[in-house]
Amino acid sequence: MGTIRIRFILVALVVGFFAIGMSAFLNFFKYKSTYGNIVRERVLVVGRGVENAVQASLNVGLQFTELETLTPLMKREKIADKLILGMDVFDDAGQVIYSTDDVRLKRDVPPSWISAAKRSKTTEWYAEDGEEVIAGISLKNNFDLTVGYLAMRYSRSYLDRASVGVGREILVASAIAFVVVAVVTPLMLIVVIRRFERDLHVLETAVTHLEDGSPPPAPTGSAFDGAIASLRDSLRGVREELDDVRRKLDAAK
Amino acid sequence: MLDKNYLWRIYWQLAGVIMLSVVLALGVVSYFSHRVFERELVPETEKKALTVGASVRSLVLKATGYGFDFAQLHGVEQTFDEVFSENPEFASIAVTDATGRVLYARGKEPESVREYFSRPAVLTVLETPDKARDAVKIGSQYIVSMPIVSPQKALGVLHIGIDSAFVDRVLLEVLLDVLVVLVVSLFFTLELLNFMAGARLASGLGEFTRQVERMKGGDFTPSGRLRVNDEIGRLLRWIDSAIDHLNVRYETLSGEIRRRITEATPEQREQVKPAAMAMEQLRVTKKFGTGEIAPRAEETDLNRIRAPLFAFILAEELTRSYLPSYVNQLLVPIPWISPQVVIGLPIMLFMLIVAIGQPYLGGWSERVGRRKAMLVGAVLATVGFGGTALAVNLYDLLLWRSLCALGYGMVFVAAQGYVLDRTDRINRAQGFALFIGAIMVATVCGPSIGGILADNLGFRPSFAISALMAFLSILAIIRLPKEEIHGPTMAPSRAPKLSEFMALLTNARFMTLTGLAAMPAKILLTGVCFYLVPLYIVSIGNTQAMAGRLLMVYAIMMVLVVPFAATLSDASMKRERYVALGLVISGLGGFLMLFSDSFLVLFAVVFLLGLGQALSIAAQSALVGEHCQEEIRKYGADAVYGVYRFLERLGNALGPLLASLLVVFWGYIGSFVALSGLALICGILFAISMRFGSMHETHAPDSSIGVPRL
Repeated sequence: MGTIRIRFILVALVVGFFAIGMSAFLNFFKYKSTYGNIVRERVLVVGRGVENAVQASLNVGLQFTELETLTPLMKREKIADKLILGMDVFDDAGQVIYSTDDVRLKRDVPPSWISAAKRSKTTEWYAEDGEEVIAGISLKNNFDLTVGYLAMRYSRSYLDRASVGVGREILVASAIAFVVVAVVTPLMLIVVIRRFERDLHVLETAVTHLEDGSPPPAPTGSAFDGAIASLRDSLRGVREELDDVRRKLDAAK
Repeated sequence: MLDKNYLWRIYWQLAGVIMLSVVLALGVVSYFSHRVFERELVPETEKKALTVGASVRSLVLKATGYGFDFAQLHGVEQTFDEVFSENPEFASIAVTDATGRVLYARGKEPESVREYFSRPAVLTVLETPDKARDAVKIGSQYIVSMPIVSPQKALGVLHIGIDSAFVDRVLLEVLLDVLVVLVVSLFFTLELLNFMAGARLASGLGEFTRQVERMKGGDFTPSGRLRVNDEIGRLLRWIDSAIDHLNVRYETLSGEIRRRITEATPEQREQVKPAAMAMEQLRVTKKFGTGEIAPRAEETDLNRIRAPLFAFILAEELTRSYLPSYVNQLLVPIPWISPQVVIGLPIMLFMLIVAIGQPYLGGWSERVGRRKAMLVGAVLATVGFGGTALAVNLYDLLLWRSLCALGYGMVFVAAQGYVLDRTDRINRAQGFALFIGAIMVATVCGPSIGGILADNLGFRPSFAISALMAFLSILAIIRLPKEEIHGPTMAPSRAPKLSEFMALLTNARFMTLTGLAAMPAKILLTGVCFYLVPLYIVSIGNTQAMAGRLLMVYAIMMVLVVPFAATLSDASMKRERYVALGLVISGLGGFLMLFSDSFLVLFAVVFLLGLGQALSIAAQSALVGEHCQEEIRKYGADAVYGVYRFLERLGNALGPLLASLLVVFWGYIGSFVALSGLALICGILFAISMRFGSMHETHAPDSSIGVPRL
């Protein structure tokens, strides 16, 4: 197989690898983000129930720090959805006021939670903390002032498990597609490249017979016909002149 | 001799085949992904529907708990509407009584769903309310059914319909990106065909054509070049061999004639005379022997610049669609400066360093060598991209971006010098076509792929990928020939002097071209494409990938229209019209934003901007040579073009600054309109000055004036 053909096939393989790789990458990340969004929205639905309960309590004049029914409510919601690992409500300074896990009370949440909550343009926010993913809601009072934040923690491994499985399947499908491309495209390329290779072959045959005095090849319709004829004419012309010199020299005794 | 488009026809056929197989492969991957998505996402959406349903059910139970009649509750449909607005994948919601009769319903119900609601099998849900049930597909919806059971009795069933087409919608979003990948793949294919096969092939076939022409003209001196061991190289060796044999025959005959004349008697000499005369005739009309072969770089040497340049420019272009958003993330408050202006600072600083640096970097790269200058530049940029990926805040980001800018300026100027060194007046246009081609392909591929990467991986990993690309360009630069070539006719380039600068700044003709055409065009380009589009598109809820797609539209317009516009403007010799028309078209785009703020309008804005810039860009610099002949004679082409390019690049730096200031006062839409208005007014003023002003007198272009480096 000629080096030019190999090079063209290599181009096809590189492009195929790039395109299929990018497509696999896009599909995988789209799945990951869509799956993550569905799970987050599901957790937020639970959170909105808690948010409504907090606002209802604030509406009747209770202080944010005096919501006695909040912790039992959060514990009930946590039990109802096994995905949720825990719920915390923290104040503006990041200190946990209510939590489904008693040991977390009075502790500070990571600063990334507070900055994520403050950076968000809506009341919903999102953060990641080690093995946990946090979907949060900013809790507001009647005057639309943020009084605290609700954070619902769920396991990253729940998301990762789904992503890894799908990722593997997409990878296998892409690998199969690439193998098919790697087998079929060179065959298709060979069909297309045949004309070019035929032209090159005509040229190669012509130049290998430049010096053996064989009759000129019949025009083949190749792109190089003109060049071959010109080449042969030039060589024939100069060769005849050299032959003429030789004849004249031989004739001189 | 050989059709010029011969190779391109082959390239396009090959690219067509490659694209066809890639499209089929992507179709297979997409089909498979659809199946996997449906299988995995529908159950998770069912769980979400159950959670949402539980929330709705608790509201209903609360109301009935207060004593309201289950069949006559108020506001249930409104609650359903809220559910739809928060969950677009839900297509229908209905509540039935215990017999399956629909009491409340919203959304588009699938056909025969009411009959399904009243099936005894469905109503058994009321008898075993704690038992989990799978969703059932009715028509195009997956129906999730949940019992509504009060402590006293079973009230009814809540049914939520999940639109199965939501998976299609998810994949449709991917499809847009896949389309981008296809376009990028096409350009990538052509670039690779050229890089991996075409450069050598074109060079080989070019060499063959030249050899044939030389022999036709009677030149039989050997080429003295090393032949590559491929098909073309081998056939060139056959021709070399034929030429060598001719030369041997010629030398042998010459020697024999000389010897016979030296050794012969006067009578014998007379006999040798016809042969000697024929030999002399041959010597005069043909050229034999080793001859003086002018040292000339191989065309493949010139082509070798394309890969490192493409990789390097791609590294920078990858960042275009998301850099402003990244800056926004690292923003620190700076007293007295609006955050909007601060976001534009890194882009402005980048452009300013490139603008100021280029006149000096040209001379420097000439002194240290193009290859070394490119290496230094690429190393600096790699460090810059790496630092940008790890930036702590805006201050160190500015430092890293400055390194990137310095590296960019070095590589750009040195690569340009590399092309200049290896071309002469005959093939300089071809050399620059190669140079600009690499940049344009990187401009098409970079922002779109960068946007996709930023959306999926995040900003920092995307900058790390840019660092990797810049590093790859280092590896390609190392493979460039170490020997520096300095054309004998090339005077060393120099930066313009301050006096020349001042004289040109006060020159009406020069400033009409620069101030009314070149600078506004660049201000509009960088202000809109590099600053406003990436920020605005995200502000209206779109993604960085969408910003990348829009920037790709601009680049594609440039790739498609510039060659035609350049040919047409050169042929018609009415370049002023192309410049004015281009400015007016690109200026009109921004006004569309007054009618709608949708991204489709933004698409039209970028399309018109690309079209306008493409029409005017080639004609602009040609007009300098056409209208500023007097200035070029007085100060030299280097100085005139140096100041022109400097001011043009200053426009690049001013674009983001002006755009950000306008955003502070008038918002995004106002900024789009104001920048476009500036270009429109400049276009009209330019047209008027060309028709009636100092530029009116037409100058025939002086062919002796060559356009110096870009």
